Amino acid sequence: MLFHTWPFLLFMAVVLPVFFALRKTRLWLPWLTASSYFFYGWWNPYYLILVVYSTLLDFGLVALMDHCPREGQKVDVLARLTRLRFGDRVLKLAFLSAALTAAGILVIAATGPTTLRPTMSALGTLVLLMALGALFSSRKIWLLISLVNNLALLLFFKYARFVVENLNELFNWLHIGLKLSDPSVLMPLGSEYLLPVGISFFTFQSLSYTIDFYFGNVERERNLLRFSTFVCFFPQLMAGPIERAKHLLPQYRQFPPIRLQNFTDGASLFLVGLFKKLALANYLSFYVERVYENPKAYGAPALILATVAFGWQIFFDFSGYTDMARGIAKVMGFELMLNFNNPYLATGLGEFWSRWHISLSTWFRDYVYIPLGGNKQGTLKMYRNLFLTFFISGIWHGAAWTFVIWGTLHAIGVMITRELEGSEIYRTRVPKLAKQLGVFAFVSFTWIFFRAGSLSDALMIVNRIFTAGWSDPQIPALMLGLVAMVWVYQFLYESRFRSLLQTGAARVGAAVFMVLYLCLCSSGGGAFIYFQF
Amino acid sequence: MATSKPAQTSGTPFVNEVRLNARQWTAVLTILVAVTLLTPPLWKKAEQFETGADYRIPYSLSKDYWLYERRLQQVAATNIIVLGDSVVWGEYVRLNGTLSHFLNEQAGQPGKFMNAGVNGLFPLALEGLVRYYGTPLNHRKVILHCNVLWMTSPKADLSTTKEERFNHVDLVPQFAPRIPCYKADLNQRLGAIVERHFIFSQWATHLQSTYFGQKSLVSWTLEEDGNDPPLHPNVYKNPFEQITLNVPSEPADDPERGSSSPRHKPWSTTGEGSTRFEWVELNRSLQWAAFQRLVKLLQLRGNDVLILLGPFNEHIMAEENHPAFRRTRDGIRAWLMKNQVTCLVPEPLPSQLYADASHPLTEGYQLLANRIHTDALFQRWMNGR
Repeated sequence: MLFHTWPFLLFMAVVLPVFFALRKTRLWLPWLTASSYFFYGWWNPYYLILVVYSTLLDFGLVALMDHCPREGQKVDVLARLTRLRFGDRVLKLAFLSAALTAAGILVIAATGPTTLRPTMSALGTLVLLMALGALFSSRKIWLLISLVNNLALLLFFKYARFVVENLNELFNWLHIGLKLSDPSVLMPLGSEYLLPVGISFFTFQSLSYTIDFYFGNVERERNLLRFSTFVCFFPQLMAGPIERAKHLLPQYRQFPPIRLQNFTDGASLFLVGLFKKLALANYLSFYVERVYENPKAYGAPALILATVAFGWQIFFDFSGYTDMARGIAKVMGFELMLNFNNPYLATGLGEFWSRWHISLSTWFRDYVYIPLGGNKQGTLKMYRNLFLTFFISGIWHGAAWTFVIWGTLHAIGVMITRELEGSEIYRTRVPKLAKQLGVFAFVSFTWIFFRAGSLSDALMIVNRIFTAGWSDPQIPALMLGLVAMVWVYQFLYESRFRSLLQTGAARVGAAVFMVLYLCLCSSGGGAFIYFQF
Repeated sequence: MATSKPAQTSGTPFVNEVRLNARQWTAVLTILVAVTLLTPPLWKKAEQFETGADYRIPYSLSKDYWLYERRLQQVAATNIIVLGDSVVWGEYVRLNGTLSHFLNEQAGQPGKFMNAGVNGLFPLALEGLVRYYGTPLNHRKVILHCNVLWMTSPKADLSTTKEERFNHVDLVPQFAPRIPCYKADLNQRLGAIVERHFIFSQWATHLQSTYFGQKSLVSWTLEEDGNDPPLHPNVYKNPFEQITLNVPSEPADDPERGSSSPRHKPWSTTGEGSTRFEWVELNRSLQWAAFQRLVKLLQLRGNDVLILLGPFNEHIMAEENHPAFRRTRDGIRAWLMKNQVTCLVPEPLPSQLYADASHPLTEGYQLLANRIHTDALFQRWMNGR
């Protein structure tokens, strides 16, 4: 159910009135949770098992963490084991139930159907770890379980095949007679091995809650429904923004105040998002697809323009989704964080990342870069941390070497611009526009690796850009005109001429233009690019 | 380097100025309502739509239902509308070779019989066409052609469960009655329903059909010329120049149709057929059920309906297939009589006057028109009321 489809409109036509009608009761929250699960289950009901599992586990782990002392406290493990003498009834119950469940699961793993064996073994080990967490009253173990569980889900569904394929290639190259099976054989009861939509987003969101609680940055959420809604709130479940518990959870404490501005702002955001997706991203995708599917057939201008077009396509696609998500949430009275801030106006790579996919950038900053030491341990370590963060960010986007290179290139770019920004000449002499164009050119170059079907394709495109002849790129003038119009708009928005865009006539004119263009010129739409991540 | 701060006045950061307040949204809605309500009728006045006595909706505009409705609105109250699929439209013949042309000739009144056939239709779609775009037909005399071809197999009847691609999907029932071989997703089905009720959207489809080769504007700019490697002839064209405000007519020298066309020839050189159709029982046929609903709808709308049943090309069938055909034909006739609908069942035409199982050639239409016109029942019906 995509935001720009009729079924979603129908869904909202049911969800919104009931949501508002329940405002004076306690049922608005269960309704929101149920609607979110329905929305997610629409894609594939089996996906619900994962999101519910992830939610229940993190909710439970934080509850157990809350029963463990913050400071290190000596625990008489022997007394706990032999006489079940726990200071805390919840921990005692957790220990007993986890130990018994782990034993049961491991028995099933050993004796049950072979198709269930891998899942049961993994689950049994996890529950055994939980028993240890209760036994040692260790917050660290609970956090570790949450990390292992969420990352294992992500690794299994997103990266297992990539890892297995690469390992098999390596074994083959080393003449080792070993061949790992495809991860699909690990699926329980022969179910299909599919990447659940939005898994990278909801696991990161849920994980941020446990990490934040561990470090004392957020209160424990005692209401399961509230936490479930935090993990699966339908506007942002599929592709973010990846919200933080501190920002979103408090918004579910009571029915949000709804004013007229919720509707006007929400509609404004939604319209802009819809226009970005249907009128711009989908249009650009036709050209990009044509060129990238057969790069050998195109000369340098077409390859360059298709690469630039892809840069805009992914921006319009992803920021369009986010705008719509924020617009829907706003109408319902909730605030989702800003995720894109005109990134192609950035004057440095660091700034680019503070404008592009902001919720993910800040997630990596807070949970990877800073824990690695950030910029507090000298320049060399800072660059190492930057490099690792961007490397992981590249991997997050997909299981392929092209994403690894994309992340690495950005890491190098960030280091270079950071150094440049340290020099007086660069800061004062180089015009802002030149910096902006430089960043845009570099980012566009990296998109080649992001978009190409394979590493060899990417390298071939790079090669052809510099070696192939110049021929008519055959890019529609209308397409160029639309992108130019948006870029000029963005430049104006961040210039002293911004007041031109603030007049009522400009706003009304823009909205009318967008609606009419969508009615008359757009060509329907496919799914969002970021759903695959 | 400092990032430009997004505008944030009430907790919601915006990174553009398309942030409208209630008054501005009211203005937008007012403008949009005015545009959507006024554009289609004004367009009708501005756009030239030339139709002659034998006019039929060109093949390339078959899915322009807004234009179809506009065509129906042009017809005088005394005219008789001939409604049906490609048999009425005239798949193998030119404008001067259709059934309506020869009926006009017989009546000696050009334009008396209007060709309201659409290429690619079938009863399930015809029902939708009349229901949603056929209100100008109300209270008129209508000749409705019944083509039994649509009951010759479960596939033609659209009652198989395997997915089938067919024309005019936007006209068929989207949810009920269920068409098992129609597997469109919910979005497509809802979109089809919305378009039926939103005239502005129909008008937008008209623009695409008429000026952009049945493509959306963006698809038109990306159109390929069919060469390898393909070139894209429209990439630098000004789309506004395409809008000539003149609905194109059917090409006078259409190589696909007319007696000089290689397609315009008898279905067989021997005239003997051996086809064994898997006739669908009438009580199970989706197409026949749709046809029944269509007849009821026309009656409800005050139409004086005459059903033209066939003439199907019986020569094409193997001998043992004839009883099933007759059962179908007789079943249809019986239902029509029971429902007091005037029904004409012409004799089959000579074998060499058919191009296939159901489409006559030019001479076939001429003979058929003559037989119809000289039929006493038809004369009574035509001159009645």
